[in-house]
Amino acid sequence: MDLDFSEDQTMLLDALDRLLERHAGFDAEHAAYTAYRAELRADIAETGFLAIAAEEGFGPLDAALLVERAGRLACSAEVAASALVGPLLGANPGDGIAMCEGIGVPTRFLTVASLACIRTDAGLVVAPISTGDVIPLDTVIAYPVGMLNALPAGARLLDTDTAGAVEQRWRLAVAAEAAGVMRGALDATVGFVKDRWQFGQPLGDFQAVQHRLARCEQIVSAARWLALRAAHSLIPADALTALTYIQQNVRTVIYDCHQFTGAMGLTLEYPLHLWTYRLKLLQGELGGWTAQARELADALWDDAGNRLSAARPAGG
Amino acid sequence: MDFAWSGDQLAFREAVHDFLARELPTNWENIARRSPGSRELTDFSRAFCPKLAEAGLLVPHWPREHGGREAPPWEHFILGELMWEAGEPRGPQYYNVNWLGPAIMAFGSEAQKRHHLALMSAGNVVWCQGFSEPSAGSDLAALRTRAEPDGDGFRINGSKIWTSYAALSDYCFLLARVPEADPKRGITVFLLPMDRPGITVRPIRSVVGDGDLHEVFFDDVEVRADEVLGGVGNGWKVARYALHFERVGIPRYALATRILDRAVRLRGANGALGASAREKAAAAHAACEAARNLTYEVIDRRSRNLPPDGGTSVARTATIAAENAVAEFVLDFQPSLLAGLDDPMIETHHRRAIAAGIASGAAEIQLNLIARDVLGLGLKD
Repeated sequence: MDLDFSEDQTMLLDALDRLLERHAGFDAEHAAYTAYRAELRADIAETGFLAIAAEEGFGPLDAALLVERAGRLACSAEVAASALVGPLLGANPGDGIAMCEGIGVPTRFLTVASLACIRTDAGLVVAPISTGDVIPLDTVIAYPVGMLNALPAGARLLDTDTAGAVEQRWRLAVAAEAAGVMRGALDATVGFVKDRWQFGQPLGDFQAVQHRLARCEQIVSAARWLALRAAHSLIPADALTALTYIQQNVRTVIYDCHQFTGAMGLTLEYPLHLWTYRLKLLQGELGGWTAQARELADALWDDAGNRLSAARPAGG
Repeated sequence: MDFAWSGDQLAFREAVHDFLARELPTNWENIARRSPGSRELTDFSRAFCPKLAEAGLLVPHWPREHGGREAPPWEHFILGELMWEAGEPRGPQYYNVNWLGPAIMAFGSEAQKRHHLALMSAGNVVWCQGFSEPSAGSDLAALRTRAEPDGDGFRINGSKIWTSYAALSDYCFLLARVPEADPKRGITVFLLPMDRPGITVRPIRSVVGDGDLHEVFFDDVEVRADEVLGGVGNGWKVARYALHFERVGIPRYALATRILDRAVRLRGANGALGASAREKAAAAHAACEAARNLTYEVIDRRSRNLPPDGGTSVARTATIAAENAVAEFVLDFQPSLLAGLDDPMIETHHRRAIAAGIASGAAEIQLNLIARDVLGLGLKD
C-alpha cells in the first residue's frame, strides 16, 4: 500500500495540469448549456495521454488519474472512454468514443464521436459512426447529446471476454469522470460561498453551509479514492463499489452546490451547470446506483447470502 | 501509487489472523458481546494482551527501547483493523497502544517513559482518559476540573463524565486546569494512578454496554509534579496530539463490513435475501469501502511522516456513515437479529455503532474541522 504518486506519475500529472490549465477559463459571454471543447481532446490526444492505459510502465490507474483531472474542468471533452475503453477496442487516439446504452437512448458525445460502443440484444457491438447515423438532441444536459435510431453499418459484435472487460472499464470511466466533475462543482461552490456575503459575512461562515459542504468534501474525496483503487485493481467488485457509491451520493453534491450558489447557479453566465448538469446524466448512466448495487451484491454474495471470497482479496 | 498490500503486509495480516485463530477461545464472541470496558472483556484483555506482547503483536510499531520493533505505521494499522474486526480482544488496552503510549513517548520524561511504556508494552495495564466533563464535551477547552498548586505538586478537584473504562482502570490520562488567564494555556495533563485517595468512580448504565461510561469525582486528590505530562499548561497540545491518533484509532468500518456479511448470510439463510435487501447491503458495503479508503489515505500520510491534516476528519465522517449504513441495514431488514440469538456479534456491533458519531469528538466537530482545514471556510483574515 503506497498512495503517493510515483515519479513517473508526478511528471505525467504535472504535464497534464499544465495542459489542462490552458482550458480552465470560462467564457461567460458565449455561455451555453454545454461547453464542449474539441481542442481539449485534441491537445490531450496529441500528447499521447489517451493511450496511457496501454503504455509500458503505466496502466488504467494512470488513465483514471487523467480522466478525473480532466473532469474537473468546466468544459467537457470525450476523454474517459478513449482513455479507459479505447485500448480494449484498438481505437485510434483520434477516435472520439461514445458509450451508448442502446438504440434510441440519448447518449453523450455521440454527436462528436467517430466510434460507438453500443449495447444491443445480441451483446456489445462497436461501430464506426458518421454524422448521418446520429440525431443531435437539444437538451439541458451539459454534454453534447445525440441518439442513434438504427445500428450503424459496419457494427462488430465483441466477444464475451472483451465485452465483459469493456463493461467494467465503462463503469470505471463513469466513476472517474464523475469524481472529477464533482470536484469541479464543489471547488466552484466553495469559492462562491467565500466571496458571496449575506448578513454581513461570507455564506461560508455559516455553520449550516459549512457542514453540508464538509459532507460533500467527504463524498467527493471518497469517490476519487474508490475510482482510483478500482482502476488499479481491475477487480469487477471494486468498479461496482465505486460506481454504486458515486451514483448514490452524487445527488447530495449536485443539490448542495446549487443550493449554496443560489440564483447565480441557475444562470448560464455562471458555469456551475457545466458541472452539475453533467453529473445529472452520470447519476443514472448504466442504470444508476441500484443497478450497480444489484450487480455488486451478486459479485459479493451468492444467492444464499454467503460471501464469495474471490470477490475481494484480504484487506477489504 | 499502489493500492495492493505488499508481500510483508500480507504476511503480517496472515500472522495476525493465525494468532487470533489460535488464541481466541471458542466462547470469544460471547465475551466480545460485552463492551471493551466490561469486567469480562477487561479481564480477558489482561490475559490476552501479554500473549500478544509475547508474539510481538502488541506494540510492534513502538521503538525497540519501549518493547516494539519499529514496525512501519501500516503494520500498526493493519493490527488495529484486524483486532477491531475480531471484536477488539485487546479490550480497553487499545487506548495504550494507539495514542496514550505515543503521547507519553512524545511528551514524557525519561522516568515516565520507562515506567508507563514498560507496563503498556507488557499488556497488563488499563487506562482511562479523563477528558469530558459535565460542561465540557466537544468544547474540551471549557473543562473546569482544577489542579491547584500545593507544595511541590497539585491538588485535583472536580469531576469527569462519560469516562470509558474508569471503574477498572489502573491509571487516568487526566486533563485538568491550573490557574491561568488564558483558558487553553491552563490545561495540563496528569498521569494519575486511579488508586489515589479521593477518586470516586460511579458507573453509568448505558445502551452501549456496561463499563463504557462513568462519572469520576476528584476530591482533593494529590498529584506529584513528576506526574505532569509534557509540562504545566501544555495539555492542549498534548491532547490534540493524542486525539489525532484517536480519531482514526478505531477502524469501525472493519467490524461493520464483517457484520454486514453476517447479516446478509443470516437473511439468506432465512430465504429472504430479495433484490431490495441486496441493493441496500451493497450500498452499505460501498459506504464501508469509502471509509476504508479514506482511512488508508490518513495512514499513508502517517507512513510518509507527513503531519496529520483535515483528512483525519474526512475519514472519521465517512466511518460514521459506514457504521450507520450497516446498522440501518440490520434494522431495515431484520431487527430481530438484535436479540443476539443467531449471532452475538451483530448485537455487539449495534451496541458500539451508536457511539460512532459521539466518542472522540462529535461528528459535527469533524465537519467543522473539514470546513476549516480542508475547505478553508470561516477563516478570518
